[in-house]
Amino acid sequence: MAAKPEDSKPVDSNDGLSVIGRRQPRLDGFEKVSGRSVFTDDIVLPGMLHGRILRSPHARARIVSIDTSRALALPGVKAVISNADAPDLLFSDKQPLLAKGFVHYAGEEVAAVAATDALIAEAALDLIDVEYEVLPAVTSLRKAMQPDAPQLHEWAAGNVALTHEKDFGDPDGAFAASDLVVTDDFRSPVQHNTLAELHVALADFTNPDKLHMWTPTQGAPMYQMALAKAFGLETSQVRIVYGNVGGAFTGRGRAKPHHFIAALLSRQAGKPVKIKATGDEEFIMFRGSGETQYRFRTGVSRDGKIRALEADVTFDAGAHAEWAMILWLPAPYLNWLYKVDAVRYKGRFIYTNTVPKGSHHGGIFGRLSAGWMQHLNHVAEQLGMDPAEFHRINAIDPGHHALDGSDFASCGLKECIDKVVERSRWKDKYGKLPPWRGIGIDIGAQASGGKNAANDTSAAMLKVADDGIVTLYTGIPDMGQGSHTVMGMIAAEVLGIEPEDIRIVGGDSDITPFDWGAFSQRGTFTTGNAVKAAAEDARGQLAEIIAGLLGTAPGNLQFAHRRVWVQGEAPEAPGRSFSFREAIGKAFNGVEGRSIMGRGFFNSPRQSGSLAYSFGAQVAEVEVDPESGAVKVLKVTAAHDLGRALNPLAVEGQLDGQVFSGMSQVLYEECRMDGGQILNPSRLEYKLPRTYELPEVEYILVETIDPYGPFGAKEVGEGPIVVTMAAVANAVANAVGEMLPQIPMTPWRLLRVIRYRKRRAATGTGAGPQVSLTST
Amino acid sequence: MKKGLITLVVNGDAHEVAVSSQHTLLDVLRGKLKLMGTKEGCTTGSCGVCTVHNGRGEAVLSCLTPALEWDCQAITTIEGLEQGGRLAPIQQAFIDYHAVQCGFCTPGVIMSAQAVLNLTPSPSEDDISDGLAGVICRCTGHIKVKEAIRHVGEYCSDGKA
Repeated sequence: MAAKPEDSKPVDSNDGLSVIGRRQPRLDGFEKVSGRSVFTDDIVLPGMLHGRILRSPHARARIVSIDTSRALALPGVKAVISNADAPDLLFSDKQPLLAKGFVHYAGEEVAAVAATDALIAEAALDLIDVEYEVLPAVTSLRKAMQPDAPQLHEWAAGNVALTHEKDFGDPDGAFAASDLVVTDDFRSPVQHNTLAELHVALADFTNPDKLHMWTPTQGAPMYQMALAKAFGLETSQVRIVYGNVGGAFTGRGRAKPHHFIAALLSRQAGKPVKIKATGDEEFIMFRGSGETQYRFRTGVSRDGKIRALEADVTFDAGAHAEWAMILWLPAPYLNWLYKVDAVRYKGRFIYTNTVPKGSHHGGIFGRLSAGWMQHLNHVAEQLGMDPAEFHRINAIDPGHHALDGSDFASCGLKECIDKVVERSRWKDKYGKLPPWRGIGIDIGAQASGGKNAANDTSAAMLKVADDGIVTLYTGIPDMGQGSHTVMGMIAAEVLGIEPEDIRIVGGDSDITPFDWGAFSQRGTFTTGNAVKAAAEDARGQLAEIIAGLLGTAPGNLQFAHRRVWVQGEAPEAPGRSFSFREAIGKAFNGVEGRSIMGRGFFNSPRQSGSLAYSFGAQVAEVEVDPESGAVKVLKVTAAHDLGRALNPLAVEGQLDGQVFSGMSQVLYEECRMDGGQILNPSRLEYKLPRTYELPEVEYILVETIDPYGPFGAKEVGEGPIVVTMAAVANAVANAVGEMLPQIPMTPWRLLRVIRYRKRRAATGTGAGPQVSLTST
Repeated sequence: MKKGLITLVVNGDAHEVAVSSQHTLLDVLRGKLKLMGTKEGCTTGSCGVCTVHNGRGEAVLSCLTPALEWDCQAITTIEGLEQGGRLAPIQQAFIDYHAVQCGFCTPGVIMSAQAVLNLTPSPSEDDISDGLAGVICRCTGHIKVKEAIRHVGEYCSDGKA
């Protein structure tokens, strides 16, 4: 029962929805607050062993020899593996699972142990003798791009892993036609996802025909495919179980080496094996954001119209280019906010002797926006324009067809700008605040899913028991965002029952229907449409039977408040209406004996890109202490066009978390790297916000009722953080009177700017040298 | 390595367990008593998800606490907060106020919140911020967590609980 977008009629806000739009507490709340929720590390299988991984201490070295014999001899040790045990097992195309001959980053997997106890496994690591010949390493973007830099891989001259260049329209012509062209540089650091639940995998590969893996993930199929390919299995021979997922923040999109190693150890030892990262190991094996350099260039006409946009981005890929998608994602994004004549994107991935990189919360868009939006506000200031006005006159409207081919059926961007300007009293504050107070505004967009493969399918099934209770089977993981609750609400709305009547079965690829998972902001939109289709299928089956009994057409029946009745008649009319449970009984115990089961799926009909985009605008207000350089975020006013708020309570939770995380990335978070080693591998030294740092957050939900979204909904899972990061960056820049070319904006970096500005004011010198904020 | 037999009173039940100096209180709760409600996070005292209560109802980081030091002491874990088969007010408030998202840190956050309420039944904003400063919740931004605690604080001070 494929859901067709054209079947989803736009619905206005007062269309009699009874469940959608309700402030619905989580359906799994009881389990989560009572300690009953089972996470991967809570699962203990009979005979289970504990695995630990020996990692390279060097950023680059030749492995002279590996001797595992002493470790194997330790009582309790059941398996020790190194590349010699699986020389052809690849983690990715050019990347052996366990280091082969060379190590390319500190933390690279060299060997692994499975033992009856985690302490024994840890002790065994010390008994593996590895001799290294240390080689010169390139451990930063700067070093990797030097002309005489050592080359990491023979296939990558100049350490360039990949490049991507894309022109939309005629950028050269548009820049030439501009009255003003502004260029700014920006940098973002290595950042870690700091998931609440540390990386963990429990593998049972004792039957060589079936690999069972319990692990938190953002989506089972990518894990199944990668593991199946590595071990020569069919996808269905790999089962991924992911009941509860302790946060993701883009950090669980793809299987990591520890998943493969747990499987290999389990196969070798003939027992289930659990590998759980330790607190500091988490910071060594992670795949968060890499060091990134940006050059932004914008051409405008005198009246403030943007003619041409350009971004040139250089990414530290780490030792292997695992997440190529990050490289090309900025190209379309540059097209989604403004009506422009032309866009140019140039990006490159550079190899360094560091852990392979991926993304942090907000993907590439958050960190890019922290620089890009400062740059665009800089452009506005150069024009003598209020940045709010600059964003507004250039902002796209509904129906806009972008240069990259994206179509925006619903778009509340201008409404978002107007609302935050009004609610934050922007016009009373911008340029009028006391010293060291700052205010910043910016905008952003995010796609609701998108086709990056042959399909972007989510499927759903549900069955109705004879007591009227519905079991919904969905593969969308609930990492905290509340997807399972929202899917229950969608099914309940369609069937005319209550969310409490829905039992969610999720997170087991042997049971739940296909779903790519929770990334690219596709959950509410894509899986939501699939669940809606499945529920409509079930309702259709029930309606046919009940309509027959009442002598009416199925389309005349109304389903709501746990009742089924004929439209225009009384919901409780005796003999002419049924409770939902009675109706199910009529179907089950009727001539046909029908057990009601619904099925549905959704796949965007577009060849590429997304069907729907959400938009947002935010205003951040900050105070900078000129003596210490510390920043206090006072208030964030956030407007987000999310189509429709299916569950406003969960939407607020999403906004809270993204404001907090966005502020954290702009002000605090940075992996301090030295020679390829991380200097701050703990949650005390890697600064994260605590309770006393949270700002006031004012939410403004703009409902544009998207024609393709389930009940009009679009994403709200990542759009807001992209906007927060830039709003906070702009507010701090406004407070110190200078665009800040680097995040995080730590006290030390801000003090350097403040002192420089004071000195410049005192000596009366004008432009002066560009202040360098890079050395801390 | 020091080894010994200790008696722990967890959520009112006495348990005799053999431990060594390598075992933390968290190892005993999760590994030996199979009380999986208390989660293991960083194991270095920086994230707070392993928070439990000592006999005085104060928050303790179980990942940092050697088990041998807990002989004959009382401990409350998340599993011990329910009263007569009903969720404690703070647990219900966490559901009602959407103070839970991924839920991994939730047991530690709730135990920290309850420790604040044990000390000050009507906590001030600073009491709440200070009491929760030791736990990191990456999902909620602590905003709705604070709302839930504030609600229970007001509810208790009104004499309704």
